[in-house]
Amino acid sequence: MRTLNLIAGAALATAILCTVSGCKGHAEAASTDPLLASYDAEPDWSDSTKVIPLGYQQAQGKRVFYQYCVWCHADATPAGPSNRSNLTPVAPLLNDGATLNTESDEFMQNIITLGGSAMGKSAMMPPYGRTLSAEEIRTVIAFARAIAQPPYQPPGRPGSQYSAK
Amino acid sequence: MPAEEMGRVTDRMRFVFAASSLIFLAVLAISPFKDYRREWKQYKRSYLRFAQGRPDTKRLTADYSPDIDQIWLPGMNVVDRCTTCHQGITQASLSDKSVPQPFRAHPPIPHNVREWGCTICHRGQGPATEVAEAHESTLAWEQPALPTHFIQASCGTCHQSDLPQTPQLARGRQLLAKLNCQGCHKLLGIDRPAILGPDLSSIGTKVSGEWIYKWLKEPRTIVDKDGNVTVNGYETEEEPRMPKFRLSETELRALAAYLSIQKAQPLQPYKIPPAVVAAWSKNPELISQGELRFRQMFCSTCHSLAVTRAGETKLIGGDIGPELTKAGSKVNPDWLITWLRDPQSYLPHTRMPRYGWSDEDLYKVTQYITTKLVDSDLLTNVPKLDPPTDTEVQMGRRLFTEKGCASCHAMEGVSPQKDFGPDLSALGGKNASELEFGAARIPHNLLSYIQAKLQDPVSVNPAARMPQYNWSQTDLEAVTTALLSLKGAPSTSALQNLVVPRKEVSFHPTGSFAEVYERYKCYTCHKFNGYGGDLAPELTYEGSRAQRQWLVEFLKSPQTLRPTLILRMPQLNVSNKDAATLADYLSLVMQHPAVNPTATDGKQFTPAMAALGKQLYEVKYQCQSCHTIGGSGGYVGPNLNNAGGWLTPAWIEAWLKNPQALVSDSIEPRRNFTDEEIKALTAYLMTLHAGIKPQKTASILNSHAVGQGVGR
Repeated sequence: MRTLNLIAGAALATAILCTVSGCKGHAEAASTDPLLASYDAEPDWSDSTKVIPLGYQQAQGKRVFYQYCVWCHADATPAGPSNRSNLTPVAPLLNDGATLNTESDEFMQNIITLGGSAMGKSAMMPPYGRTLSAEEIRTVIAFARAIAQPPYQPPGRPGSQYSAK
Repeated sequence: MPAEEMGRVTDRMRFVFAASSLIFLAVLAISPFKDYRREWKQYKRSYLRFAQGRPDTKRLTADYSPDIDQIWLPGMNVVDRCTTCHQGITQASLSDKSVPQPFRAHPPIPHNVREWGCTICHRGQGPATEVAEAHESTLAWEQPALPTHFIQASCGTCHQSDLPQTPQLARGRQLLAKLNCQGCHKLLGIDRPAILGPDLSSIGTKVSGEWIYKWLKEPRTIVDKDGNVTVNGYETEEEPRMPKFRLSETELRALAAYLSIQKAQPLQPYKIPPAVVAAWSKNPELISQGELRFRQMFCSTCHSLAVTRAGETKLIGGDIGPELTKAGSKVNPDWLITWLRDPQSYLPHTRMPRYGWSDEDLYKVTQYITTKLVDSDLLTNVPKLDPPTDTEVQMGRRLFTEKGCASCHAMEGVSPQKDFGPDLSALGGKNASELEFGAARIPHNLLSYIQAKLQDPVSVNPAARMPQYNWSQTDLEAVTTALLSLKGAPSTSALQNLVVPRKEVSFHPTGSFAEVYERYKCYTCHKFNGYGGDLAPELTYEGSRAQRQWLVEFLKSPQTLRPTLILRMPQLNVSNKDAATLADYLSLVMQHPAVNPTATDGKQFTPAMAALGKQLYEVKYQCQSCHTIGGSGGYVGPNLNNAGGWLTPAWIEAWLKNPQALVSDSIEPRRNFTDEEIKALTAYLMTLHAGIKPQKTASILNSHAVGQGVGR
């Protein structure tokens, strides 16, 4: 009788518990493929076997870059040849981390907006502030940071504290 | 139990009662505890903790409330609680990649989250309050969140016009039209002109039955002398139009037999005058001269050839017309001559211009094609085909409609089957349970289904009639995006109002210009008032830009000195009369309303102004980084050697003030010139005259690939 009561009590408790909790496990979050979670992607310029995933802003920067900047800041252009070799001094490649990683976002924004001569660099770099919006210029910088080799580390905030997947 | 014990409270009963009361109490306590531990509440609290670690805590927590946050837009069927956990999506300071999800800010886009909600673009279950239910496919909700990589599909559901921000979607739509998917499928909102396959009514006059057999079995394969496939045109991005049908030997023979007797319009061969043949046939230069003319006429702007360099074979040239590496082993030489003289007489809808040919050029070029662009091994693996029998022809005729050939290729007396393939107008909104996965071992979701269907239709349905396409990864993703965007007719009128229809543009010239325009198919490459191809510069304002005399000379001899350009204006051999007609129309009609080409008088420019202009050009603004004058400079912008003989001064002035006002997607940076500087630069440019032939297409930007990126 006692045992019966206990069993009945336990069963009742479990039933109520289950009702309240819903009695189910949690589904694991799917999709670990970084490319599926990226808006677009860009092949690593210095290693053709790698692909760099791009977020929305970086992808918009890629679009602006391939329309306006690629002709002088890449060795291969959608039309084939590059205008880089015609320039003195030679323009840096957009993924040239050794050169660009040390420049601040502010400097990059200024040199694109105002042109090279305004920032003490070559006048061959024209100003794009009246052709592109400030936001478009920001996207190009975001794209440059994304494809930089060696990889770009934002200053001040350690990149490893919160891992971005 | 004895009667006297009834109603007596024993110790044991007390114990049971106490125990069950305790259990009930505990159970009652579980409920608030469970509620406290709910997933979204944990995210709420962890956001507070996260915000406290940031320098701008006050701003980050200004709107904080511990309750469920909901965006309710009844007209659009939106009840989105995503912002309950994604609490930082409007906080600009949380946009960095180092901010952990779900708190990261949404990148700035033209749509405001409070006005649009989240699921309109991202899909998923808006009212859900658990991570798994909101993002994944569950038994009750089969619309999981769309992977970000395909998110452009959501833009396309409303924006039927292409947006610059969504290149992947635009590419997918372009492919659906180019591959003529509408031939078999209904595709809502992608009603754009399909590029049809050639009319086959007279195919028997063009190619042999053996060639048809080979083509149907293995479209476009280039094999080197050792038997290795070097360029499989069928696998390259350049030439994917004709897919591979899975045909049995009998079916191949039947179709080849049926097609090889199609001669609705008998060939009327053009005889090249015997004097021309006699003068050239023995000349050892004949073939090399033919190749030179082939190059000079810029056939490669539309047709590619396989070129082997450093052991690697590639197709070089445009993709408007078919690849020609083995054209000489394909077509009947008599047909070729007739075709080149008047392509429209064989194929009224072809985009091939009607060149002005001299008999000499025609002979040289056809001899080059039939002698050099050949492959003696092309038909070696093709069995000897006997003359077509009635049974074969009957069967071929039946197969022509049954296999779907008629959906892309016109054929006199044959009409295509209606609704040949499934209606795909609402494919992008389908639940997984509405799809037939068959025996395919793929995850049961819409995305996997679409990709499996595209890559190998038979893997999903062994009886599929859909032919085999070979996609590059980029194109597969693009087409998937375009298909995912098709969600059928909007379910509410508010959603209907969101649809941005595709702008239809057309250009219908009349009179003698129209005839010449049609003859040379100018619109294949150039845009007129927004209508036409994008391979070459838009001509909408050409009358304001170029001097009439320059236009005449350029049309007659569109030579450029730029060896880097592959795709250039073909040498159409335009007659004087046609050149005058074109130049007159362009000069008088195709003008920018704000740029009157005769408004600025060239005489006002003095040598002193020009000297100042030269200074500005070379030193202050260093225009030579993009433009070439006298053999030095860059080649991003057009060569300016002959600017004074090419451009109108009014255009130069307007252009220097604001290039984008004249050509909206021009990459020439708009600069802050003073009026004096503009006059000086114009004066300088107007002094530039080149003794060489005028040129202007010589900008690497005129190539077709501008703005498309070379990415994955």
